[in-house]
Amino acid sequence: MIPEPNFGWTGSVGDVVLGATRSDGGTRSRSYRIGGGTTLPFMEKGGTFPSPLVVFEICDDPRYWSPIVNDFCGDLVHDPAAWAKTAETTYGADLVRLCLTSTRQRDFSDIPSLGKTTDAVLASTSLPLIIEGSNEPKIDSEVFQKCGEAGQGEHLLLGTAEAGRYRSIAAAALAYNHAIIAQSPIDINLAKQLNILLKEIGVPRDHIVIDPYTGALGYGFEYSYSAMERIRFSALKGDADLAMPMICAPSDSLSIKEVREADAGTRNAIAVEWEFTTSLAAAIAGAEIVCVRHPDTVRRLKAAFGALNTRTGGA
Amino acid sequence: MPLKALDIYKLLPKKNCKECGDPTCLTFAMKLAAGKADLDLCPYLDDNAKSVLGATTRPPIKLVKLGVGERSFAVGEEFVLYRHDKTFYHPPGIMFAVFDTQSEEEIAAVTARVRDETLTRVGADLKFSGTAIVNTSGTVEAYTKAVAAVEKTAGLPEVLVTENPAALAAALVQCGSYRPLICAATPENYRQMCALAKQYGCRLVVRAPTLDGLARLTKDCAAEGVQNLVLDLEPKTLGDFLYRSTALRQLTITRAVPDLGFPVYLDAMAFDDEDAAIALGIVKYASVIVTKPLAPASAKAALTLRQNIYTDPQKPIQMNPGLYRVGTPGKDAPVLMTVNFSLTYFTLQGYLESTRIPCFMLIVDTEGLSVLTSVAAGKLNEMLVRDAIKKFGVENEVSHRKLIIPGYAAPLSGRIEEATGWKVLVGPRDAAEIGEFLVQEWKP
Repeated sequence: MIPEPNFGWTGSVGDVVLGATRSDGGTRSRSYRIGGGTTLPFMEKGGTFPSPLVVFEICDDPRYWSPIVNDFCGDLVHDPAAWAKTAETTYGADLVRLCLTSTRQRDFSDIPSLGKTTDAVLASTSLPLIIEGSNEPKIDSEVFQKCGEAGQGEHLLLGTAEAGRYRSIAAAALAYNHAIIAQSPIDINLAKQLNILLKEIGVPRDHIVIDPYTGALGYGFEYSYSAMERIRFSALKGDADLAMPMICAPSDSLSIKEVREADAGTRNAIAVEWEFTTSLAAAIAGAEIVCVRHPDTVRRLKAAFGALNTRTGGA
Repeated sequence: MPLKALDIYKLLPKKNCKECGDPTCLTFAMKLAAGKADLDLCPYLDDNAKSVLGATTRPPIKLVKLGVGERSFAVGEEFVLYRHDKTFYHPPGIMFAVFDTQSEEEIAAVTARVRDETLTRVGADLKFSGTAIVNTSGTVEAYTKAVAAVEKTAGLPEVLVTENPAALAAALVQCGSYRPLICAATPENYRQMCALAKQYGCRLVVRAPTLDGLARLTKDCAAEGVQNLVLDLEPKTLGDFLYRSTALRQLTITRAVPDLGFPVYLDAMAFDDEDAAIALGIVKYASVIVTKPLAPASAKAALTLRQNIYTDPQKPIQMNPGLYRVGTPGKDAPVLMTVNFSLTYFTLQGYLESTRIPCFMLIVDTEGLSVLTSVAAGKLNEMLVRDAIKKFGVENEVSHRKLIIPGYAAPLSGRIEEATGWKVLVGPRDAAEIGEFLVQEWKP
């Protein structure tokens, strides 16, 4: 008799909760508990385990967004609230990630508008929300303070903390009880270091999601794939400083040469294929949340995750 | 348990005859211990040594060669569960299916596409691997015609997909000597399939829905004299494949079940989303993947993923430091400095090309570290930049003295100015924004 696989793991991935329902003091229609894995992805005993979550990313200034998505989504891209609603009802996303691209304008200073946009998106969708702050360290403090406050009680996921740039976001997360994304440049040791820095300033482990950074397929994805496998492996081997769920955002996929230079007839298909392939492989390597920007990628990923999560027999 | 080189050496003839191709029996023993040599290369082994060594010195997963000639390929001989532990050596063959219910023209067109289509990425020519000829009609006559149409078009590796021994026998008359892969032997038909595989020296897929069943079947086939096997795990869902394939890899690399030490076959056509099955097969240990001919987007993604996953992760991917041209830059063209991590180089180069502004890229030697990491580690510093400007003769190439540095290197801007005498412009952190930056900021 062939034995079922046994890898001798001693640890497991810790839990992080995203979103808060009414009973938890928020207004979301659902919340997710991610993490909890005790073996390699999709290998859990019994085979019933939550599928990875599929996030649809939107922005508040489409000038800084992929023209492919802007063309595909049409007028929605000028109305984050309506776009978020569509992500929930039409695209079938599990979460929405609001990227505050308006902050990329030169000398951006309209902080109050960010709070208003956050409020509007929270009102239009009942999905848990990820908020991606500015590109500009100088305004981090105000931006995260404003968004954190607007989402108080909703248990948001705030992005993105990096080594050398994590204090403002951590302060907002601690003040308003949100979780944060901790990103490191495709390096398991730097990922661990950042988690330790966050721990030292008081961010609890169950409020951290690791982003090992996702290089696009063909542009370094193999490094990200292995970084994710190694982080998962370390968590299962008992390294508590790496035992957090992971997020993968292959957002570079839409700006690579293959997609940019594709002719009009195949551009959408290549964009979707690139997001899909990268996200699927990342989930197999250990990502519990994957973020995409093309609406057509969402359903394909959800179906594939469902199929990966279904077993009709053992080994 | 694997034997150590010295234990193996004790069982060798110690003649140092060199007939195995190694200078001494000890070096041959070391290769055997590493799974890098075949025991059969030694002509003087006694039966005892053969039986002791046979089980432990073979690579844990047998190397199986498909096809003949230029496009033949080998799969198997893998050693690890994670690519970062060593590397994955033998990329899976991706075979396009043709059906004997199609016209000869259609079959020839698919075969010609596999023969000719090439995707060139990072200096490598990526191709699909061969054709799988499916006996959809169930008849001998149609199958024979389909095989002939493929044979007439190209000498590519082939999978013969049929459960009908008569059709298979007729097909093998045409292509049996080109090492096709026969698909598939089951507990019901394996004797007939083995007889044909043995007669023509073919490779054989064995199919069963459990690893237990597969282990029994490989033993039965070995007893019939067929050793070059490939395993079809008969998954019903993507989850079945991932689970069984991972279990199998774990069991084989630890040599827990030697009867299972063969490469894996995956029929992607059995799944709703073929692209998902192909991607899963590539990352999770499939060695022969059969799919319908892929649409352009799916084709590019599959070839690219295969190239990524089968890149040696231990080799730091570096560019040679130097001054690179984008377009044909003149004396007043911008100079952009960055690191020699090849990913950084290719990403930046791609964005620069799309701006259509001719420029120079000054690639400095950070030993393959990214900008962020090399700044943090002190590898990227003003001296390195100063020396690179001198060494690569940048001063003779441009008449201005302005250097654009990556956004993440901003902390170094003052020191680079002092060390080089060049004016430093801090570029964006994200290469995607370089076009906008050049348009707005660049004046010679």
